Amino acid sequence: MKNRLKVLRAERDWSQQDLAERLAVSRQSVNAIETGRYDPSLPLAFRIADVFGLPIEDIFQREV
Amino acid sequence: MAHKSPATRRYMRVHIALSILYVALVLLASRFVPDDAAPTPGVILWALLPGLVVLGWIWNMGTYLFALEDEYIRMLETRKALVATALVLGISGGWGLIELFADVPALPVFFIFPIWCLGLALGQLVNRLTGHRQACA
Repeated sequence: MKNRLKVLRAERDWSQQDLAERLAVSRQSVNAIETGRYDPSLPLAFRIADVFGLPIEDIFQREV
Repeated sequence: MAHKSPATRRYMRVHIALSILYVALVLLASRFVPDDAAPTPGVILWALLPGLVVLGWIWNMGTYLFALEDEYIRMLETRKALVATALVLGISGGWGLIELFADVPALPVFFIFPIWCLGLALGQLVNRLTGHRQACA
């Protein structure tokens, strides 16, 4: 699964740590999701969507 | 600096306390139980006291997995436990078969848990080699 986390974070000038604190997860988790090494669960994906104020499908896309 | 969650800090505190208790109980048992003692109820009780601490370690690890709120870290910890379980089952199963067919010394059951703990370190290494870094728990 691809995601736009890095771009969305950069647009808001947030560090990985800033986003991790907003999501109540570790910085390692944000890094692993951003780099595609870990796909978040649906509840965490919804939390990410809430933090960015976007629908999930605008953040996560299927690999083609 | 590596982030340590409240669950990780609690796990470490309990683990250290149990480890100190384990060493103390083993030293006490060594002092009060003579070598090659007969298996009387008293001797068995002394031998089982450190075993209760081992149960405490296992309980602490299970509690830690449930207390971890970070699902990615929980996944890494679960992978470590799976690698450890694979190692201990592989060694005990493999060595057990060798024992069946060849005249080799028996692997003392006591070593199962230490080997499993060694497997946790191997699991940490597997996590690192597959690109997953985390703070040591």
